[in-house]
Amino acid sequence: MAYLYYPGCSLKTGGRAYEESILAVFKALGEPLNELPDWNCCGATTYMSIDEAKAFTLAARNLALAGKSAGGPCDLVTPCAACFLTLRKAQHAIDEKPDIGRRVKEGLKKVGLPGEWQVRVRHPLDVLVNDLGVDRIAKSVKKPLSGIRVASYYGCQIVRPYESFDDPVEPRTMDQIMEALGATVVDWPLRSRCCGGSLSGTTPDVGLWLPFILLQEAKKKGADVMATACPLCQFNLECNQDQIKARYGDAAQLPVAYFTQLMGLALGLPAQDLGIQRLFVPLPKNVRETEHARA
Amino acid sequence: MYGRLNMPEPEPILNGAPKIGVYVCHCGINIASKVDVKAVVEFAATLPFVSVAKEYKFMCSDPGQDMIKEDIRAGKVNRVVVASCSPLMHEVTFRRAIKDAGENPFLFQMANIREHVSWVTSDGADATEKAKSHISAAVRRVALHDSLDRKRVEVRRDVLVVGAGIAGIQAALQIADSGKKVYLVEREPTIGGHMAQFDKTFPTLDCAACILTPKMTQVRAHPNIELLTYSEIESVDGFVGNFDVKIRRKARYVREDLCTGCDECTSVCPVHLPSEFDEGMSQRKAIYRAFPQAVPNVFTISRKGAPPCQAGCSIHQNAQGYVTLIGQGEFKEALDVILRDNPLPSICGRVCTHPCTEHCTRAKVDDPLNIPGLKRFVTDRFPDYEIPKPAKERPETVAVVGAGPAGLMCAHELRQRGFKPVIYEASSVPGGMLTLGIPAFRLPRTVIGQEIKRLEATGIEIKLNSPIGKETTLEDLRKRHAAVFLGIGAHQERKLGIEGESLPNIWGGIEFLRKVNLEGPFSIGKRVVVIGGGNSALDAARTALRCGAEKVTIAYRRTRTEMPADPEEVEDTETEGVELLLLTAPKAIQGSPEKGVTALECFKMKLGAADASGRAAPEIIPGSDFRIDCDAVIATIGQIPDIASLGDKLGLDTTRWNTFEADQTTLETNIPGVFVGGDCVTGPDVVVNAMYAGKKAAISIERYLDGKNTHAGRESEAPFVPTYSVDTSGAVFHHKVPLPSIPLTSRKSFEEVRTGYTEAMAVEEAKRCLDCGVCCDCQLCATVCEPKAIDYSMHDEIRKLEVGAIILATGFKTFDAKRIPRYGYGKYPNVYTSLEVERMVNASGPFNGEVRLKDGSAPKRVAIVHCVGSRDENTNRYCSRVCCMYSMKLAHLIQERTGAEIFNFYIDIRAAGKGYEEFYERVQQEGVQFIRGRVAEVSDWAMSPDEEGKLVVRAEDTLLGVVRRIPVDMVVLSVGMEPQADVEEVRRKFNISCGTGGFFLERHPKLGPVSTFVDGISIAGACQSPKDIPDTVAQASAAAAEAMTLIDAGFVETEPFVTWIDDQACKGCKTCIDVCPYSAIFYDDVRHVAVVNEALCRGCGLCAMECPAHIPATKQYEDRQILAELTGALR
Repeated sequence: MAYLYYPGCSLKTGGRAYEESILAVFKALGEPLNELPDWNCCGATTYMSIDEAKAFTLAARNLALAGKSAGGPCDLVTPCAACFLTLRKAQHAIDEKPDIGRRVKEGLKKVGLPGEWQVRVRHPLDVLVNDLGVDRIAKSVKKPLSGIRVASYYGCQIVRPYESFDDPVEPRTMDQIMEALGATVVDWPLRSRCCGGSLSGTTPDVGLWLPFILLQEAKKKGADVMATACPLCQFNLECNQDQIKARYGDAAQLPVAYFTQLMGLALGLPAQDLGIQRLFVPLPKNVRETEHARA
Repeated sequence: MYGRLNMPEPEPILNGAPKIGVYVCHCGINIASKVDVKAVVEFAATLPFVSVAKEYKFMCSDPGQDMIKEDIRAGKVNRVVVASCSPLMHEVTFRRAIKDAGENPFLFQMANIREHVSWVTSDGADATEKAKSHISAAVRRVALHDSLDRKRVEVRRDVLVVGAGIAGIQAALQIADSGKKVYLVEREPTIGGHMAQFDKTFPTLDCAACILTPKMTQVRAHPNIELLTYSEIESVDGFVGNFDVKIRRKARYVREDLCTGCDECTSVCPVHLPSEFDEGMSQRKAIYRAFPQAVPNVFTISRKGAPPCQAGCSIHQNAQGYVTLIGQGEFKEALDVILRDNPLPSICGRVCTHPCTEHCTRAKVDDPLNIPGLKRFVTDRFPDYEIPKPAKERPETVAVVGAGPAGLMCAHELRQRGFKPVIYEASSVPGGMLTLGIPAFRLPRTVIGQEIKRLEATGIEIKLNSPIGKETTLEDLRKRHAAVFLGIGAHQERKLGIEGESLPNIWGGIEFLRKVNLEGPFSIGKRVVVIGGGNSALDAARTALRCGAEKVTIAYRRTRTEMPADPEEVEDTETEGVELLLLTAPKAIQGSPEKGVTALECFKMKLGAADASGRAAPEIIPGSDFRIDCDAVIATIGQIPDIASLGDKLGLDTTRWNTFEADQTTLETNIPGVFVGGDCVTGPDVVVNAMYAGKKAAISIERYLDGKNTHAGRESEAPFVPTYSVDTSGAVFHHKVPLPSIPLTSRKSFEEVRTGYTEAMAVEEAKRCLDCGVCCDCQLCATVCEPKAIDYSMHDEIRKLEVGAIILATGFKTFDAKRIPRYGYGKYPNVYTSLEVERMVNASGPFNGEVRLKDGSAPKRVAIVHCVGSRDENTNRYCSRVCCMYSMKLAHLIQERTGAEIFNFYIDIRAAGKGYEEFYERVQQEGVQFIRGRVAEVSDWAMSPDEEGKLVVRAEDTLLGVVRRIPVDMVVLSVGMEPQADVEEVRRKFNISCGTGGFFLERHPKLGPVSTFVDGISIAGACQSPKDIPDTVAQASAAAAEAMTLIDAGFVETEPFVTWIDDQACKGCKTCIDVCPYSAIFYDDVRHVAVVNEALCRGCGLCAMECPAHIPATKQYEDRQILAELTGALR
C-alpha cells in the first residue's frame, strides 16, 4: 500500500527543504509518497479557538479526501508537526464529541464528501521506524554519518498530547534513525521541550528565550548539528539565531537541519535534492564532507 | 422493544400445582428510583401461576424475608421469585429463608433488576419494561424448577499456603498452631518475601528483620508446617475441601538435608552475577543464599543447563567452565576442567574448528569469545600437565587401529575406564591427520609429541609401523583383544576428474602435506595453484610458500562467505601473500609429460540456487575460460578412506561412498566386538568430530564388554542447542581480543604463526563471557563441600498434595521505573528506586547501611518522588497506599545517615493508619521538606552554575503556584506496587479472577475481602491489592480463619446442579467419559451405560455438548427450563 502524503502549507513555503528531503528519502527507501490531491490548509492552531466545528471541518476535509482517494483504509503521512496535531485533534473531536462530529460530517456531505473514512494520520518518524524499520534504513546507508554528533529534537506537537508512537517526554524514534545512519546520538534532556512556537513573533521575551535554551543545551552536550521534524521548530531555532545572539549573547551558532536532510545525505542523495542549500546556518564541516564525498 | 418469539408455552412438569410468589425489592432507591415497582408488581400478578405479587423496600432484611416465609407457611406460595440484586449478593439469603419456611430452597429464582436494570438503564420507562421481562423470565423458569438436594462431601484437613512472604508466613503459623497440617510453598529459595529486604518499618521504625526472622525460624521449626521452597504450583484440580495440587520442586543442586549453610562454597565459585536480594547493587555467586538469615538456611545453584558452547561441542567440552575460571585468574582449575573432557587440549586449542564459538551468545552483542585461544593459553601455561590416571583397572585389552584423533580419543576414554588399549598405527609417526595433514606452523610437532606422551603415560600402548589388513588381520586382533576399534581415517585423495590430471607435479593436498610433514620441505615449483577452499587448501598454499614457491594462487569455486575454512586462517593466508581467486573452477590442466604442468585452465563461476547442503550451487559462466600459468597444481578437494587396500574390506559392510557402515548411535559394525569411527565412517571431517566418534565408541565398547544395552539413554551425547534464553541487555560492547602472531618476515620457516594470549589478554577475553548457563559446572564447590551436599544430578520433581483449603499469598512486584523515561531511571546513575535505597540503608545491605552515590560520596541533597507508577493515567490509576509512608521513612533514614537535605515531591499525603499522621508530623519537624506537585522530569539540564553536575528535579509547586527546579545529588523514585508478572497464569491455575488493576479479585470488596469466587480458596496480602504490613498480616489471619472454619466444619455441601444421564437413552459410546475434565463419569460394564458420580461432577456440561445423542442434562439447566426462561424474557 503506497503512503498518501499531506504536505500542509509550510512544506510548500518556508519548509520546502523538509518536503524536498522527505520525498527524496522515501523514494530512495522504495516507498514513494503520493501527495493527496486537492488538499487544503489544516487550519493550524488559530482557527479552532474561533469555531471548533468549522475548524475541524476544514481539517477533516483532508481526511475525507484521503479516505475517498484511497477507497479503503489508508495512512496519511503528515510531516508538519502542527498539521499532524491538527488532523489528529480533528479526528479525536469527531470521534469523542458527538455534537462536533455530527456538524463536521454534515458540512462534508454538503460538498459531496463522505462522512466516514478509515484514515490513520501518521508521522514520518513513526512510519520510518515502525513500518520500514531501522534495519532497512541502516542497510540503505551509503555515506554513514560517522563521528557526527546529532541532537535529535522532536518538538512538542508530535508527541503530545496524543501519545501514539513514542514516549511523550523522552522520545527515541529519531535517535534510532540517527544511530542507523551511523551518527553519534547526543543524549540531551530537552528533546521534546517547546521551541517557542509562534511566540517569537508576538512575545519575543519568551519566543526567543525558549529556542535559546534548546540551542545552548544541545551545544553544551556536544552536538554538531540539531535534527528537527517540524518546520516551525526549524525556523525558530535556525532563523532567529542572530536575534537570540543579540539578546542572550553567548548563544552558540548551531546548524539545524531536518532529520530527513541528514537521512538523505547518509543515503547518498545529491545535496540539491535535499534542500541543503536552503539552510542559513551551514552544516558543520564533517557533515559537509559526507556530502562532498558523495559528490 | 423486545421481539416476540412464537413459541408454544411449555407444559409445566409439576410437583403439585405451582403457586409462585413474586417479591419485588426497592433496594432503598437503588431500584425504585428507576423502576416503577408498583407497575412491575401489577404486571407480575398477571403472569401464569403467580399467586402472590408483593413489593418491599429491602427484601433482604428480616421483615422482607419474613414476608416470604409467612406466605409459604400459609400455603399461598410454593415457588419463589425475588426481583432484586445480583444472585451473587443474596441468592444464599433467600434460599435459606425458603428452606426455613419448609420448602425446597431450589424452587427459587432471582431476577436481577438492580445490576442488570436500574443501575445500567438511563430511562425509567425502559428500566420498568426490562424489569418486567426479567421477572417474566424468572416466573416461567421457576414454574419448571425441580426440588434438588445438596450432597455432603468430607473436607480434607490439610491446608496449602502459596507464597511465603509475611502474609503466607502469618497464615501458615496460625493454621499450624491450630493443629492442622500446612504446606507452605515458596518459589524463591528462601521465605521472607519483600519484607526481608526492608530495613525499618513505618511508623514505629522497628527493624523488619527483628520482627520477621523469628517468624521465619518458627515456620522452619513448626511440626505442622512442611516448607516447600524453590517450588512452584504446577496444577490445581478438585474443588472445595478436596483439592489435588501438583507442586514442581525445582532442582537446587544442593541437598537441603545435607547442606549446613557453612558458606564454604561461595568463596570458590567463579561465577558472579547481580544479587536479586540487593536489587542488583551487590554481586552474588552462582551458588548462593539470598541472605545469611535465609530459611531454609541452605544454598542453591542457579543453573540453567549446559551453555550453548558446551552443548554445541561434539565432545561437550565445558567451555563456560574453564573460560569463567580463566576470567578469575584460576588457570590451574581451568586446566582441570579442560582435562575432564579433552585429552588433546593443546592440539584442540590450535586446530579445532571450534563449533563452540558458532553458538556463543556473545556473538549477538559483538564477537564470539575466542574459546580455543583461551584453551591454548591454559595448556601453554602448564606445559608439564598430566592426564589423570584411571581410577580403576580392568583386565581386558582393546585394539585401537589408527593413532589419529579418533583412535587417540577412543584409547583415552577406554583407559580412563580401566581397559588397556593397544594402538596399531600404520605410519611411522603417531597422530594421523594431525601429524600428516596439518603443517607445523599451525600445529608444532612438539605439541603433538607431548600430547601423545601424556596419553602413553596413562598406560596406553602405541605400536607404530603396524598396518592392518595384510600381515596382521582383523581376525588376529579379535583373537588377541576383547574388542577392536577401527579409526583408520580417510587418506586416499579424490580426483579432480579433469583433463591433464595425470601430468607430473600434480598433487593431492594431503599427499603434498604428508610429504613435507614426513620428509621436510622440497621445491615444488615457482608458481603453484591450489584448488579448494577448506583449511587443507590454505595449509597447502602456505606450505607451498614455505617450500619456496614465488606465487601461490588458491582457486575456489564459490565466494568467500561459502569457504569452509576458518575466516581467521583465510586472513592469515592472504596476509602471507597467497592470492585468492574466488568463483573460479578448474577446467583442464595444460602441459606435457616432458615439460610437466604449464597452466591451469579455469571457468569463471556465478552462484545459483541453494544445493542439498544449503549453500548456493556454483554455475559455470559460458565462455569465461581463462588460464593461470603455473608449474604445479595441488588439488585439495577431499579424501576417502583407503578401504580397498585393507584386503576384502576386512569383512566389514561399507557404504556406496566407500566408508564403513556403522550404527549411528553406537558405532557398532556387522562384526560383533568391532567398532568404527572418525573419517573412515563420515568421510573427511574435523578433528573434534573424530574425537567425538572415539569417545562414543569407547562408551559402546564398555557396555558391550559388560554385556549391557549399547543403545539405551545416549541421546544427550549428540550436540544440541539449549532451549533457554540468555539476557544480553546488560552486556557492554567489547570486541574480542585478537590472538597475536609472529611478524610476517618470520613466516618463511615452519615456526608457529600464532603465539597465543598473554595472561592479561586471556583474562580480558575470558571476562567477556556472558555466563549463559549461570553455573559453569566447574564443580569447585563440590570439592570444598564437606557434607557432600552438592548434587549435580538433581532434577525437578513433581510433588502431589491433597488439601482441603488453599490460601494464596503471592504478593506483588514493584513498578518498573524504566517505564517512565522522564524520571531518568537507568539513564542517570544516581536515580534509584525506593527498594534499592531500602537495601542501601540496611545494615546488612550492599554498603553496610551507608547511603552513597555511585562515586562513593554521601549525597547532600536528595529528592524523593512519590507516586511513581501510581495514581497515573499512563501506568497505574490506583494508589499503592504504602509509598507516602515508606517515602517518609526513607527520608528519615537518609537524613539520619547523611544529614542530607531532603525534598519529598507528593500529590497528596496519604497517612491514614495508626500512628501514621504522627510520623508525618515527626518527619516534617525533623526538617524534611514536602513540595506538593507531581515531578515533571529529572534531568541533567543545568541552567545555572549551582545546577551544574546535579540532577535537576522539575515540578510545579501547586501550593506556591510556581515551577520549581531543585538540583539534587540523588533521586529516589517511590515505586508503586503491581501484581506479580505471572498473575494471569496463576489466576488461571486456581480458576480465580483478577480485578481492574490486575490484582486477585475478592468475593466482596467489603464483606468478603479475603474470599474468592472459588469456595475453599482465599487470598491474603498484596496479591489482593497494595497494602502495608499491618493490613497484610490482618488479612493473613482472616484467610487462616476462613480455611480453619472450612476444615473444622468437616464437610461441605456441594451445589446440586450436577449432570445426569438417562440410562434408558444412553448407548454407551463413552464419548462423555473422555471429555469430562473432572473424571466424574464411569462406565457401567453390566448395563453398558455411562454413569455420573455426582460427588465429582461440577455441572460444566461438556458431556452434554459432546454426546452424539445429547442425553446428559444438567439439573436446573435442562432445555425445557432454559426455553421457558427465554420465552418469558421475549414476552
